[in-house]
Amino acid sequence: MGIGAFVALVGFSRSFEHAWLEMYESAGTDLAVVQKTFLNTSVDQGIAPVLARIPQIQIAAPMVINMMAVTPEVNTLVYGWKADTFEFSALNILEGRRFRDGQQEAMLGELLAGSLNKKVGDSIDLQGSEFKVVGIFRSGSALEAGAIILPLDEMQSLSGMTGKVTAFHVQLKPAPAGVSPAQWRQQAETAVENALPGLRAVPAAERASNNQLVTLAHAAAWGTSLIALLVAALGIANTMAMSVFERTKEIGVLRAMGWSRRRVMALILVEAGALGLAGGAVGVLLGWGALSILGALPQTASIASTTLPVATLLEGLLMATVVGIAAGSVPAWRGAQLSPVEALRHE
Amino acid sequence: MSDAPVAVAAAAEWLLEVRDLKKSYEGGRIEALRGVSLGIAAGDFLAITGPSGSGKSTLLHLLGGLDVATEGTVLFRGQVVGKSSNADGAGSIDLDTYRARWAGFIFQSFHLLPSLNAIENVQVPMLGTGGHRHGQEERARALLVELGLEHRLHQYPTQLSAGERQRVAIARSLVNNPQVLLADEPTGNLDSVNSAKILELLAEVQARHGMTLIMVTHDESIAASAHRHVRMRDGRICD
Repeated sequence: MGIGAFVALVGFSRSFEHAWLEMYESAGTDLAVVQKTFLNTSVDQGIAPVLARIPQIQIAAPMVINMMAVTPEVNTLVYGWKADTFEFSALNILEGRRFRDGQQEAMLGELLAGSLNKKVGDSIDLQGSEFKVVGIFRSGSALEAGAIILPLDEMQSLSGMTGKVTAFHVQLKPAPAGVSPAQWRQQAETAVENALPGLRAVPAAERASNNQLVTLAHAAAWGTSLIALLVAALGIANTMAMSVFERTKEIGVLRAMGWSRRRVMALILVEAGALGLAGGAVGVLLGWGALSILGALPQTASIASTTLPVATLLEGLLMATVVGIAAGSVPAWRGAQLSPVEALRHE
Repeated sequence: MSDAPVAVAAAAEWLLEVRDLKKSYEGGRIEALRGVSLGIAAGDFLAITGPSGSGKSTLLHLLGGLDVATEGTVLFRGQVVGKSSNADGAGSIDLDTYRARWAGFIFQSFHLLPSLNAIENVQVPMLGTGGHRHGQEERARALLVELGLEHRLHQYPTQLSAGERQRVAIARSLVNNPQVLLADEPTGNLDSVNSAKILELLAEVQARHGMTLIMVTHDESIAASAHRHVRMRDGRICD
């Protein structure tokens, strides 16, 4: 169960991170300009002219992101974009049109539109304000496919962030000859941070893994998994302690036949590791099943991927084996300390 | 056969020797052995008898390295068993090595591992000493065939009769070619017919393999077939 929880939770949080990365990559975002503080970051929208003067920057698009309830059961990501932002390049409008700035209009990802049964012309209620659905779009990013996009000014008003944005998403000019893309990006980061003290320019990949939501999702997933693993370890320790107790006479026979303490201990540890590995394999299957369910639920379908990453699978199995061996070490040590006579007399 | 008390001679004369062996439990409250000295020559068949609680099994366990004495010394071929050195400067053998290479055990209740079949049970002592797996299996098979179990090689202990189980246990005790075979009431769980067969088998095995046999028994008639016989009472050799 511990490994199942690990696979489901960590797999879920990694899907979440992957969806962020897909979103940045598909739109061609190179940098995100954000506050240096970790929580509740907001950036003054008035810095846009400063960013525009930085020689490496081609476009700096202000954006707001927030999580909002669209029904009592469904929370979704809501983005605030300018109608002319470069980020629309990653979207394929299936029905309707792009919204207009300053209008109470919304565009819905096809996944969300499907689960809410909304189409162009319908309206959607967000925090007491009614928005008209003017477009349905498809996106390669699961986060966008299950999201709503509003005009930036409407989103700022809805979020109480007038004049503020979550971040500026930046596209860089092509690197000049003789400068590598990495050096060019580094120069841009330095220029932003020099021009705007208190702000950071974060590469897209880093923003995907280090943004507040992903970091909190990872922390929650690992924290919960570690508690589940601790419970699993106690379960294995109990099983191994019972096994060693029931097989005390057998241990006595092995010791009487000349098996060293180290060899007896190794035997018990191998069994504990095998028990952990077998439990881990079952846990991986359970976790994968849970991820599949999360991928099918409307509340989480926009985030969860049903693909189980090989790294998560191997980590789960390795962790299960290590937990098994660690949990079996005390019973193994106690079993190995028994004298042959003492063990043979055990009933 | 001689029933006379055994004198202690120089270590080199004996294959196995114990000197002033004492064993107590519960912080000295229970004294199982109160100073036993005994020498056993190579090729001897020694029977140890005595009433319950006389210390005969404790002595066997100490002779076989299954337990350690509270005081006194066990010497095998002049080397201290289970201690790093002794006052006389003799070398030493650690208990695991002694049990694995030089001593073989036969127990009253067989102590076969229930999850292993006959041939696998016989291989157990060899797993502690290394060696080639195929060679180990061949050695185990040969011993079981020698003891008349060629048709029971792959049977599990629960599928064997008591006499067959004890023969598997004897094969197991012989598999590492020990120099000393220690048997603790080996016929205690057998009927009279099987007892006679096992005793005959042990005598044959001892003669064929040229090893020293030390047997604890409460049966005087069995003890009478041994080369030497010591009687114990209250933790001491009395006869």
